[in-house]
Amino acid sequence: MSARVTVALRVNGRAYERVVESRRLLVDFLRHELQLHGTHVGCEQGVCGACTVLLDGEPVKSCLMLAPQAHGHSITTVEGLAGRGELHAVQQAFRDAHALQCGYCTPGFLLAAVALADHGVALEGAALREELAGNLCRCTGYQNIVEAIERYLRQAAGGRRDG
Amino acid sequence: MILRPFEYVESQTVDDAVAALRGGGDDARVIAGGTALVPLMKHAVLRPARLVSIARVPGLADIAPATSGGLRIGGVATHWAVSHATLVRERSPLLAYACARVASPTVRSMGTLGGNLCYGESASDPAPALLALRATVRLHGPGGARTVPITEFFTGFYETALQEAEVLTSLDVPAMPAGARWRYLKWTPRAQEDKALVGLAAMLVLDGHRCRVARLAVGGVGASPVVLARAEQALEGQELDEATIARAADAAAGEVEPMDDLQGSAEYRRDMLRVWVRRVVAGLAEGRAS
Repeated sequence: MSARVTVALRVNGRAYERVVESRRLLVDFLRHELQLHGTHVGCEQGVCGACTVLLDGEPVKSCLMLAPQAHGHSITTVEGLAGRGELHAVQQAFRDAHALQCGYCTPGFLLAAVALADHGVALEGAALREELAGNLCRCTGYQNIVEAIERYLRQAAGGRRDG
Repeated sequence: MILRPFEYVESQTVDDAVAALRGGGDDARVIAGGTALVPLMKHAVLRPARLVSIARVPGLADIAPATSGGLRIGGVATHWAVSHATLVRERSPLLAYACARVASPTVRSMGTLGGNLCYGESASDPAPALLALRATVRLHGPGGARTVPITEFFTGFYETALQEAEVLTSLDVPAMPAGARWRYLKWTPRAQEDKALVGLAAMLVLDGHRCRVARLAVGGVGASPVVLARAEQALEGQELDEATIARAADAAAGEVEPMDDLQGSAEYRRDMLRVWVRRVVAGLAEGRAS
């Protein structure tokens, strides 16, 4: 019996391989093995969404996922959003709409928003808030967060039409 | 929250998984999406020494048409996949909708339909839908494959018919009859992503105002998700007038054994079930479907 496993995956386009204890959570793998500290640890029980990352493009809670579950998959974290010296459109929208206060929940919200745009979802208002139910902001700054994501989703939908 | 150490076995086939589960005895658990299991391990409610992953078994996440007109859905298909599959939306919109009501998008894209059922939680969203649809559960264990009607799958508080070293491989979901009207009503005390206090699945087939087929099931009320058999009997063959619908609602309230918890009292659950059966059936009778 071995409590250690090899985990090979891609994070933000780069391949990594590590031998870790099988009990290693994906969020701790990202933070402690790969030193990617942008993914935050919040409630640790799958409620708050601060640890949201994309697994093959789908939003998942990395505090509920064991690192070996992510073996062979492709992960996107907040570090993978911005280009060289240039914010990702969702980050720019958050900046423009003053959508962060303490910033702790922000990486999770950004990735949840990117997943919506990638699925071609252009929601607003109550319907958008429902889609964001897996992400909590303890500063309660939802008004501007929702506004930023509405702007970003409109922009992303416009880009698809124009493209 | 640091988990206790455990061995992680990645299965390539269902037989591999069954063998690994047998080898691990009582200390082995199946993991698919992990959304139920990992939090229980964090809180040390479960302390498995071996996790047997079935997430990568080829074909186990497939959603395929059945010759009967229904569907076969693999046990590790995620709630997201089930709710978005065109095939499910066309043939079993009640199930697609119920899967889209599970927790939040992040949990739906991780958690699997089979995992949801094997967890045996009363407040499951897909369970009442599958009960109303009279689905069949396909299991594979040391003795080979067997099927269990979903109406016999939930046996008690977080208990199911799953036996030692058995894996839920797929579900057979009969097609909804042409013209069926349906609704899944999830009543939660606070936010949408909460667990259902009353999760009511309903499917009716009408001839004019007469009810030909009534299928009602509920989760979140008692120890397990259950078919509301007496409410169904009160509706079938009857004109769906106010008195008949009220009788069905009373029958539903009378046939459940509701539980008390922090979300609500047993009497509140019973009362809300009566209210929602009445409103949902009346709405469907008037053609306000889904």
